[in-house]
Amino acid sequence: MTNNATSTRETMGSMTSRLSMPYTLTAGKAMGTFLAELGAQRIIGSRCAACATVRVPAQDFCGDCGAETGELVAVPSTGELTGWTVTERGILAFVLLDGTDVPLLHRIVDTDVSSLVLGARVSARWAAEPAGNVMDITGFAIDAESTVGALAPTNELLAPIEQLAYRMELTYEHSYGHFYGSLFDSVKNDRRIRGIRCPSCRNVLLPPRGFCDVCFVPTKDWIDIPDTGTVQACSVVHIEFVGQRMTPPYVYAEIVLDGTATRLIHSVGGLSAEEARSGIVKPGSRVKAVWSDRATGSLADIEYFQVIDGSA
Amino acid sequence: MTNIAIVGTGQTAHARRRLDVSQAGLAREAVMEALADAGLTMADIDSVVVASGPAMFGAVNQPEKWLVDALGARFKPVVRVTSGGGTGLAGALAAMNQIKGGVAKRVLVVAYDKLSEGALQASISTLYDPFWGREFAVGIMGFSAAYWRARMDRLGHTEEAAAMVAVKNRANSMLNPKAHVKKEVTVEEVLASKPLCWPIKVLDVPPISDGACAVILAAEGDAEAITSTPAWIRGMAYYSEADNAAHRSMLQSEPLKIAAAKVYRASGVTNPRRQFDVAEVQEPYTCFELSYYEGLGLCPEGGAAELIASGATQMTGDIPVNPSGGCMGANPIGATALIRLAEAAMQVTGKAGAHQIQGAELGLVQAGGGWANLRGVAVVGSTKD
Repeated sequence: MTNNATSTRETMGSMTSRLSMPYTLTAGKAMGTFLAELGAQRIIGSRCAACATVRVPAQDFCGDCGAETGELVAVPSTGELTGWTVTERGILAFVLLDGTDVPLLHRIVDTDVSSLVLGARVSARWAAEPAGNVMDITGFAIDAESTVGALAPTNELLAPIEQLAYRMELTYEHSYGHFYGSLFDSVKNDRRIRGIRCPSCRNVLLPPRGFCDVCFVPTKDWIDIPDTGTVQACSVVHIEFVGQRMTPPYVYAEIVLDGTATRLIHSVGGLSAEEARSGIVKPGSRVKAVWSDRATGSLADIEYFQVIDGSA
Repeated sequence: MTNIAIVGTGQTAHARRRLDVSQAGLAREAVMEALADAGLTMADIDSVVVASGPAMFGAVNQPEKWLVDALGARFKPVVRVTSGGGTGLAGALAAMNQIKGGVAKRVLVVAYDKLSEGALQASISTLYDPFWGREFAVGIMGFSAAYWRARMDRLGHTEEAAAMVAVKNRANSMLNPKAHVKKEVTVEEVLASKPLCWPIKVLDVPPISDGACAVILAAEGDAEAITSTPAWIRGMAYYSEADNAAHRSMLQSEPLKIAAAKVYRASGVTNPRRQFDVAEVQEPYTCFELSYYEGLGLCPEGGAAELIASGATQMTGDIPVNPSGGCMGANPIGATALIRLAEAAMQVTGKAGAHQIQGAELGLVQAGGGWANLRGVAVVGSTKD
């Protein structure tokens, strides 16, 4: 995970956050067989043992009656067009393959959109190099000459593809809003931390917010907060994980800055691996911010907190 | 008030990685077992509540739409509830409210997660505010370890005491056919195990699991007609706390205390240690079980280390906690709280098999979502009151 605040002082608009997550998705038996068989240019469907509906891709259970589907069948690569739409990325279409009861969502290729009519005969186009996913069929094209095919029993099927590698890349633009905007504008440009006081309970809240969570009254006065505080709780991070910002071992810390009543989530650094492991940072330790060379308008403008004298 | 009972439960064979089923197939497996347990079919079910963790766990958004097909639930009401580790109990509460509200007589709750598919800690880190702490989050582990460290100083929750929780729950898992971690450990092994986020060590941590659980709820009158062994829900509540309100010490979970007080009042529990025969608590790390002993009133504040050391929470003790092995045996996060409820229901109906607490009549259930922010409690009994 990376956070990069790109806005300037005048427009503390939004912070870009990019999430990049790896997955290994499990197809299940029927879908896994469908995917494997695409590599041999065969389309595998499933026939429901209870209501006899046939669907493609093959499914382990029937969406019509909820029964286990049971039987896999070889489905012709021909069918008819039952609906389409034109998108920026091409023509998406529903194709009812011959012998099946549920249309398959796929693409139309090698076809002029003006020639599309409901009920048109189509046939599959295959990728030259199969990749073990549904795009091994590159799409369907108009094929007026195609004859109506029939389902066939499956003979020897390839072993199902059990897992698919997948990556989800998501980019968000988080709006700072007035309160985070004011705080991080000061952090970025003046290295100044500002909280806000609840007029009822008098607690100083950091991050600043429009309402006190406890009293639920509008907050009022902005308060400058020193960059020193006390560790409320901490742990020593040894584990490595996707998107990690620092190299273990380091100290995860929840810090209450002086004069505030709330927790700031950060790290305690400037320690050798041995010092981090030793547990010398503990609840009650006094800490001070070490500011980063970078000015991003986020908590990362503080590189880490370091332990100072005066610990409880 | 309508009394409501659990009339069927089911669980998958939980595993580190189930290659033979998709996410939807996993949920279906638990549902089929619950229906068989209740002697019902989907035609008998009025409404379905799907409970699963953050969509980011499995990269499938709005998975309840996928489950309509897999469960044979077409033309029924299907909604999804999600609330971190408390998801399963939050789902059960939603189902109870549907029955109480009179919109359904029999509700199926299915809870699942297939954690083998995604990046767990990175996904959990997105629970944090993107402006406030996410860059420094270590899933929920950094937080959990930090407040355990604070409880060591203030409440005496030592590493040894937490290690005893690991020893107990892993031993109990040996008796649970659904648990997938089957390895007994010693206190010394737990203490010597690799630190992940000290004081949390590898053996303080539950497995990452693929698994599902299903529970069928029915109203009084109907429930007795379905089964001769209904498990009556004597109370259930789920409470919250603001994330970064002023002066939260996090030493105890405030919403847990509120939920427990409400449920104990509803179910006539005044002395939890004495009145409960068994408890199933959701311990995402060993340190949480210690904390929940105190939050649930099984011992006084600061008494958890003594309670675990006394053996009272062992299978043979006076208040066995997690005879199923708890999360240490299997931890499919979205399902884990519903598993606690199902296990407590099995205990009070005598269906827990090798990990049955003999004669159990009143069971306590605890679950939590988010970090200390959302906590739920339920009480199930062999009788209505």
